[in-house]
Amino acid sequence: VSVARAGALTARARVVPAWKRRLSFTPLGRWYVALTVAIGFAAINTGNNLLFLVLGLLLSSIVVSGILSETSLRAVRVERRLPISASVGAEALVALIARNGKPRAPSVGLTVREKGGDVAGQGLFLVLGPGRSEEVSYRFTPARRGVHRFDQLEVATRAPFGLFEKVRPLSAPAELIVFPRRIAPPPLEPRQLAREGESSTGRAGHGLEMHALRDYRPGEDARSIHWRSSARAGKLIGVDREQERRRQVCVVLDHRRATGAALETAVERAAALFERELDSGAEVSLALCGERLPAGSGERHRIAGLTLLALLDASSGAPPPVPDRDASVLEVVA
Amino acid sequence: VSPVRRMTLLRAQEWAGTLALAAAFGACAISGELGVGLVLLFFGAAAAASILRPSTRRYEWAWTTLLGAAFLLQAAQIASGRLDIVLGAAQFTVLLAVHRLWHRGSRRDEWLLLLLSVLLVCAGAALSAELLFGLCFLCYAVAATWALALTYLRFEIESARTPEHAAMLLNGRRLVTPGVLAALASLSLAALVGSAAIFVTFPRVTIGGLRRSSSSIPIAGLGDQIDLLRHGVVADDPRVVLRVQLDPSPSAHGELTTHWRARSLEVWTGRGWRARTDVWGGATSTAPMPPVRRAEAYRRPDPLVADIEAVAGFSAGVVLVPEGWPMGVTFHGPLTARGTQTRLLRAPNGDLFYTPAEMGDVHYVVRTERALPDLDGLRGSGTTYPREIAVDLEVPDHVDERVRRLSRLLTAGKDPVDAAAAVELWLTKSLGYTRELPGPQSDPIAHFLFESRRGHCELFSSAMVILLRLAGIPARNVTGYYGGVHTGAGYWAVRAGDAHSWVEVYVPGAGFVPFDPTPPSGRGSAQKGWWAEAVLVWDGLSQRWRAFVVDYDLLSQRRTIARIATALRETGKRLSRARPGTPEFREAAFQIALSLLVVVGGIALLRRVRHRGRPASDALTADQRRARKLWQRARERLDREGVPLTPATSPRETIRWTAQHKPPAAPAVERLASVVLAARWGGERLPPWRARTLLQELQQQLRRSNAPAGGESRKT
Repeated sequence: VSVARAGALTARARVVPAWKRRLSFTPLGRWYVALTVAIGFAAINTGNNLLFLVLGLLLSSIVVSGILSETSLRAVRVERRLPISASVGAEALVALIARNGKPRAPSVGLTVREKGGDVAGQGLFLVLGPGRSEEVSYRFTPARRGVHRFDQLEVATRAPFGLFEKVRPLSAPAELIVFPRRIAPPPLEPRQLAREGESSTGRAGHGLEMHALRDYRPGEDARSIHWRSSARAGKLIGVDREQERRRQVCVVLDHRRATGAALETAVERAAALFERELDSGAEVSLALCGERLPAGSGERHRIAGLTLLALLDASSGAPPPVPDRDASVLEVVA
Repeated sequence: VSPVRRMTLLRAQEWAGTLALAAAFGACAISGELGVGLVLLFFGAAAAASILRPSTRRYEWAWTTLLGAAFLLQAAQIASGRLDIVLGAAQFTVLLAVHRLWHRGSRRDEWLLLLLSVLLVCAGAALSAELLFGLCFLCYAVAATWALALTYLRFEIESARTPEHAAMLLNGRRLVTPGVLAALASLSLAALVGSAAIFVTFPRVTIGGLRRSSSSIPIAGLGDQIDLLRHGVVADDPRVVLRVQLDPSPSAHGELTTHWRARSLEVWTGRGWRARTDVWGGATSTAPMPPVRRAEAYRRPDPLVADIEAVAGFSAGVVLVPEGWPMGVTFHGPLTARGTQTRLLRAPNGDLFYTPAEMGDVHYVVRTERALPDLDGLRGSGTTYPREIAVDLEVPDHVDERVRRLSRLLTAGKDPVDAAAAVELWLTKSLGYTRELPGPQSDPIAHFLFESRRGHCELFSSAMVILLRLAGIPARNVTGYYGGVHTGAGYWAVRAGDAHSWVEVYVPGAGFVPFDPTPPSGRGSAQKGWWAEAVLVWDGLSQRWRAFVVDYDLLSQRRTIARIATALRETGKRLSRARPGTPEFREAAFQIALSLLVVVGGIALLRRVRHRGRPASDALTADQRRARKLWQRARERLDREGVPLTPATSPRETIRWTAQHKPPAAPAVERLASVVLAARWGGERLPPWRARTLLQELQQQLRRSNAPAGGESRKT
């Protein structure tokens, strides 16, 4: 399960035309234009040709600036790479990758920034050579759990003179699911520490403990021979091992009465317990109001559980959680 | 390592800003109106700020107080009319620039410096219209482009990076290379080309308010008095005072032998001459032609049209007239709705002036009639002189007896015209010419005639006037220029060193008739050598600058645009008439072919030059180049099909990624990669057909891999 669902919103996202640009003045540009207008007025007023010459230089600099900024923005492809996981309160790194598709002209002073989504961030590509790709990243610290939407990426440049900012919006919808805040889980109890890991099931399997002795079957792995019994019996005796099963834990969160900060606290505790049990080697299931995650382990299971908790809403009318019958229950009281 | 290569971004940005400001200041300072103090203050502050690099703002309050005081002082001077508002604004802008230069450090300071530099250039445009302004403007355009772009880069880095990273980039030498500076300079040239286009096409409709013409400081020339007692040497000043085009034009070879009459000086001061001070009648046209001249002009007309551009600093408001009787003067001037038009004024003695005299350089056309009766025609005109020329008969109170005797000797019993000719001939033949001034003498005329017997043109003309007046013949001293040299720019240049003085003798019925007693070898100047040539070349450039830039008005604009439109129309017509086989077609085809040849040749030459500059290791064989190109094309195809490639992806990785994303195309990529590697590095041959086949094969495989799956959507 990937939590960075790039392109998930493509269907409903506004498609930005490739030609679309937005132009705005920088503070210097405002002064520059005001000065140009004033000099234009002075030139017309006095008829002084040298002022017309100065006016020509200022106006043509504006034109040159426009052409070069357009050249910088043209044929630039931008991509966003979201982190695998992000948690509330922890810095996350979002990578922005830009590729200059022009064969000769470099792109100068490209600022790529988020627009319209839940996350604000930007990166600067100072000089992007022709045909080159570069990557920059920005950090953001999520303030809430759940879905964070990314909408557009804006490629902006103030090059070459910093008089105007030309912006090219690009559709780049994506989602990032932010997990609950990581808090310190309650410590494990001593008896749990004593039997960390697997427990026997009383059936033959592939564990470490011995289950029963039997005659050795030719072709079997030599490691299944019980040498001491074979020596005693004068023939090869094989050994069956005990089937072992991981400890099963079910984290139960009844959040029907919890809202706001209480709900957040409960979710964070449930997430902490869920992760602690996974780290301790147990197969962990989640029982929430109206939702359930079967027992499992591994990284993908961790992400699935945290995603479930990240998307949990307050729901007073939902059915109560149903814990796993075979598992030890860790209940979080909301 | 050259200084440019050692330049960090920070240093380059600071230097570019200072350079732009210095160029702007230069554009302002060439007018000479700012004052020496301000010039020294600016360059001192710029040098001190560059060397000391003051980072403290502790004394900024003192600067601010001083600026406030300077502002109040200048405002008071402007209000009281003692200071021109444009000059005051320019001076205050210089002070602001000095202040900011001394305290530069923040982004605001840098931007303010650049904005102040624009204001300084504008002030320069208002204060001076010289060619030097054009050069400063050119420097400014380049330096300001550097400064704008580098300042932008600097602050973009500072705002987007951590302080440590920003400092590393700003103090590194990676970003500012000679190539980057050259690219920025070419950017400024592009801006200049745009500037020229806007300059030519921007409608020259002017309101005409607050017009301030540029003015120059008079350096030499045509004052209203002559002092014969000065001592030293007459300077050979090669600076051009008049640019003249004549119709009919004399032969361009050789020198012009024309007198350019400026004004007459009638009153003897004891040390020299001064102009009469009669009350002007306010005449605004040339004087009517006297009857004898009129008859001669009717019988044997000899008109001359002189298109004259007079440098204001030398002409001092006088209309210079070539030899002959002035028939009319027409002024050229920029069209303004409220601008003051140049007007002609005629003094009682016939001298012509223009007003307002502070309009800067003036451009006018003088039509003269050169048909003069010869001495035989003038002889016998009588000695009845009108009352208004009584001043031309006045003699000094104390005249050396030797001078009186000489006058009698040369004129006694002769007709006034013959007497004048005799005095002229005697002076020309008997006395020598020297540029050395006589030094302090109680009677410069007697000293010249009987002791030194050598002198300059003013002594010759003064002596002739005194000798004639002693004989009762009205005469006056005339100043102006003599001669002219043809320039490569197509006009005749009259230089300050061509200043000359001669005599006009009144002949009843014919008016004042010129006589020149100075030996021909001493008339005008003998300016040779590289300096004089350089001055002429510079003047040629100045003339073009003035003609095409400073004096470009609505009429010139209309003419230029009409000319461009005509050229385009003609080209269109020529092309539309052009049918294969016709002469028009052949001509057009030839021109197009020639243009193409020039362009292709230029590109080839450029490529060759660039190729030469590359290291030898980059010299590839045709097969190697083909292999490189094939690999690039293959990568482009794969990239388009969504195979994730980066510039650093190796061929082996490319095969692996293709196998993952486009499995059917992997064998084709593998074959292509092995051929490319063998040709690029193994010395194998790669014929063009083989390259084409491999590429086509890859394309087919890619298409095949897309077909069943319906295409893989690319992530954008």
